[in-house]
Amino acid sequence: MRALILAAGRGAGLYPFTETRPKAMLPVAGGMLLESALPKLRAAGVSDVVMVVGHCSQRIIQHFGQGASYGMTIQYVHQKEPAGIRDAIRLARGHFHPGETFLLVYADVLTPGNIYRHVSQTFGSFNQPVAAICHTPQAQDFGTVYLGADMRITRLVEKPTERAMGNYVLAGVFVMPYRLFELLETREMDVSLNELSATDGLRSAIWEEPWLDPKHPWDLLRGNRMVMETWREAVVDGSVQLRGAVQFRGPVRIEGDVVIESGASIFGPCFIGQGSFLGNGVLVRPYTAIGANAMIGFGVELKNCVLLDGVHVGRLSFIGDSVIGEGVRVGSGAMTLNQSMDGPTVRVRMNGGHVDSGMTKLGSFVGDGARIGASNTLASGTLIAPHEVIPNHYTYPRGES
Amino acid sequence: MCGIAGVAGSTNIAQRLFRGIAALEYRGYDSCGMAVQRNGTLDIRKNIGTVESVNQNERLTDMKGLVGIAHTRWATHGGVTRENAHPHSDNNGRVAVVHNGIISNYRDIRERLGKAGAVFRSETDTEVIAHLIAHHLKQGAGEFERAFVAALRELEGTFALAVISVDAPGVIFCCKRESPLIIGLGDDANYVGSDFNAFIEYTRQAVILEDGEYAVVTRQSYAVKNLRTEEPVPKEVTEIEWDVEMARRGGYPHYMLKEIYDQPATVQAALRIPRSDLAGVARMIHGSRLAFLGGVGTTYYMAAMGQYFFSRFSGRYLPAVSTDELPHLADMGPEDCLVAISQSGETYDTLTAVRHAKRQGAKTAAIVNVMGSSLVRAVDLPILQGSGPEICVISTKAAMSQAVLLLLSSLELGRLSGSLEEAEVLLLRDEVASLGDRIAETLNERSGFLHTAARQHQRMKNWLYLGRGIYYPAALECALKMKEVTYLHAEGMSAGFLKHGTISLIDENMYTIVLMPAPEEKELHALTRSSAEEVRARGGFVLGFRFEGDEASQGLFSEEIVLPRVSSLLAPFLHLVAGQLFAYFLAVALKRDVDRPRALAKSVTVA
Repeated sequence: MRALILAAGRGAGLYPFTETRPKAMLPVAGGMLLESALPKLRAAGVSDVVMVVGHCSQRIIQHFGQGASYGMTIQYVHQKEPAGIRDAIRLARGHFHPGETFLLVYADVLTPGNIYRHVSQTFGSFNQPVAAICHTPQAQDFGTVYLGADMRITRLVEKPTERAMGNYVLAGVFVMPYRLFELLETREMDVSLNELSATDGLRSAIWEEPWLDPKHPWDLLRGNRMVMETWREAVVDGSVQLRGAVQFRGPVRIEGDVVIESGASIFGPCFIGQGSFLGNGVLVRPYTAIGANAMIGFGVELKNCVLLDGVHVGRLSFIGDSVIGEGVRVGSGAMTLNQSMDGPTVRVRMNGGHVDSGMTKLGSFVGDGARIGASNTLASGTLIAPHEVIPNHYTYPRGES
Repeated sequence: MCGIAGVAGSTNIAQRLFRGIAALEYRGYDSCGMAVQRNGTLDIRKNIGTVESVNQNERLTDMKGLVGIAHTRWATHGGVTRENAHPHSDNNGRVAVVHNGIISNYRDIRERLGKAGAVFRSETDTEVIAHLIAHHLKQGAGEFERAFVAALRELEGTFALAVISVDAPGVIFCCKRESPLIIGLGDDANYVGSDFNAFIEYTRQAVILEDGEYAVVTRQSYAVKNLRTEEPVPKEVTEIEWDVEMARRGGYPHYMLKEIYDQPATVQAALRIPRSDLAGVARMIHGSRLAFLGGVGTTYYMAAMGQYFFSRFSGRYLPAVSTDELPHLADMGPEDCLVAISQSGETYDTLTAVRHAKRQGAKTAAIVNVMGSSLVRAVDLPILQGSGPEICVISTKAAMSQAVLLLLSSLELGRLSGSLEEAEVLLLRDEVASLGDRIAETLNERSGFLHTAARQHQRMKNWLYLGRGIYYPAALECALKMKEVTYLHAEGMSAGFLKHGTISLIDENMYTIVLMPAPEEKELHALTRSSAEEVRARGGFVLGFRFEGDEASQGLFSEEIVLPRVSSLLAPFLHLVAGQLFAYFLAVALKRDVDRPRALAKSVTVA
């Protein structure tokens, strides 16, 4: 079966990271959303992919190319304006032929297990269109479904009201007939699926394992943790250099050419990317993912955070419950506060209002290429734009910086 | 629902055929049989019981032959007897038939063939097919296929069937009309089956028959034809990737969830049971001095719920007794009766209690799911609940149906004893008829909240379920579900009982779930609220299961699950559903073996 992957979405709620990258290339556990999806699709028997790209499409095409390194062929379809899912699917119509059934995949969905295999097996067992469904506490952000007997989807609600908030939600993976393209010519996505359910029958495939479609920056921490919780053993590349006594505990994953100075403590599950350097006495606590070519200075503490590629953190800094963008420079002695004194959960200022993150501990979210001067203390729930520069903070001479 | 399997091979096929029906056993398991063709004769062996027990008694796997058909049965009409088990044959033993579905005009055919000399040995509609084919053979149909087609054209109804005959060595004839049937294409054999499971071990190449098609299958070939025109139908061979277990569970991740979702349908099935049957049980109770409700495990809790229904609608107190204790407790006489409840009808403790009652001359009735089971045969008045096979070891849909049947029976007793008018009974039955929709609403709109709560609190190891009135046995049942499937410590308790000792357990390691009554039950509601407050006052965490429109318990709980607004009649049933889902989601989060929890068996047949 061929797959149609929708990777054009911008993911505006994931500011500041989606300013400079497509949502499908957001980082979790040392990889990217889409990067973890392709091998699973391959394992589910997909070798032919049509991918709709839009926002920052060049980054996707450069990274995934024709798909050779994933054992598949990838053809790209360009969605020039961000016009939604219906438009994205319609653009790909010419790549499929009447009578064909295909896997329809939203590229920004994260599941540690292979949801694609589950869905295609459900299709194989029942020979009917299939939609994966799952439970999520954030049902308000998704289309929800009503189930009849035999797992048939009887009704689909695109914007759930209070009533339907406890329903299963669409999990972003489908097996669809070519007819979907025809339906979408004149109908919205939800109407088309309802119609398909009435005529062809739409079967649900219940996904009970962890699942996440990130909607907010802190969801990246959730996704990171979700993947790392499935890790069972440590994997340390043979080229890793330990310069003295380094303490390891739990499932740590360390890629090639990493250098770790003496006195560091690395507590898994955690990930350290290719070519990174960790100075003396660095403390890496569980659920930390450090991208490639990072420089972590003496005595830095990292906890439940994601650092993208090329991040430098100066000595004696603390980064916790935070996501730090690509190439960010954090000066020495910087600190991300990660608790609010106002309430049990941290509220984040976004789009002129406040959003309750629902997280009791939350640090900062720093866009790609930003610079955070030495000795700064970032309030919990701070968002920093890409390439923003925050000057060094010092107490003498006064009034200057 | 029944299961059909067939194999045409080049070596002995008995083992493969047997494994075929063993794999189809989830479609039904009250009786089974196999027919194998060898040296111009048909060997047919069949009996009642599970596939494994029939094999022990009939040595199915010792049969010898190159072509055969087999069947596993879930009786819906006609008793579970050896005679009614499939395969069926004609009087000369030349044709053997297995069948899934209903022949609606079988009485006419049976009468006609009977006059022509056919002797029928079973009560089934299936047997007429064998006689009808034999009849057409005798009429000089010529080739066997002609007789097969002529016979099929006379049949009305919905069915899938497979036939072998000594007149067509090495061939399986099969046909589909609305019931499923597929052909499997193997290297050294071809197969037929009700679904993939019949031959999944041997091949993944399949040809799917459509309605109105029949097929002629040998070990090397297959031909699919249109039953009306007899023209060949070109078929595509489907290579299907599927997960065997998933197909069996109808796509649900576990049988438990499937059976929870079956409940709207099983409630409707319970409502279709003729009122006269339930009135029979009510008459028996009405005419007795002492009447007991008996069950053990979940069925005891259903009996305990039944007490409240009988008390509410007939003013009569029927003590619920755990059947393991009944012989030690209740002296019964000819003027007394026992209504026993059992899904399998093979529960040792319940059978023993029924025998105890009978020995003392008491009358007996039973609510039971498996037709032909020992309990059905043992009691004076069996009520078959018709919930369909329940595979998960933990009872959900069968228990729900039992509670509904006790409620419906209590209405009949109310009518009989004069506490309810006929019009009231009809109104109440109408209300019960809406239960299926309310359950579906709970499953659809509330399951996510239960899922979130289960994930959130999966590390809590001690749970207390509290309820008052009928919500007390509902709390006991919810706690039992949790114990069975999550292996966590859970206790059900009447909320008023709590302060007489158990409340000393309340601390941060013990969570409490309170089953709130419907808001209209004001007194019960106020009492239950005060119990929740007692727990909270001691720093206990309380998860409330409450109903929509329940203003009085706003702010009472640490967290709450809000169930659809219903009357007090239906309220306890929705608590059962919530309890099932909560236990299920917790078990999945804790990675338990949901359908086969450790140490438990589907029917406990030992003391």
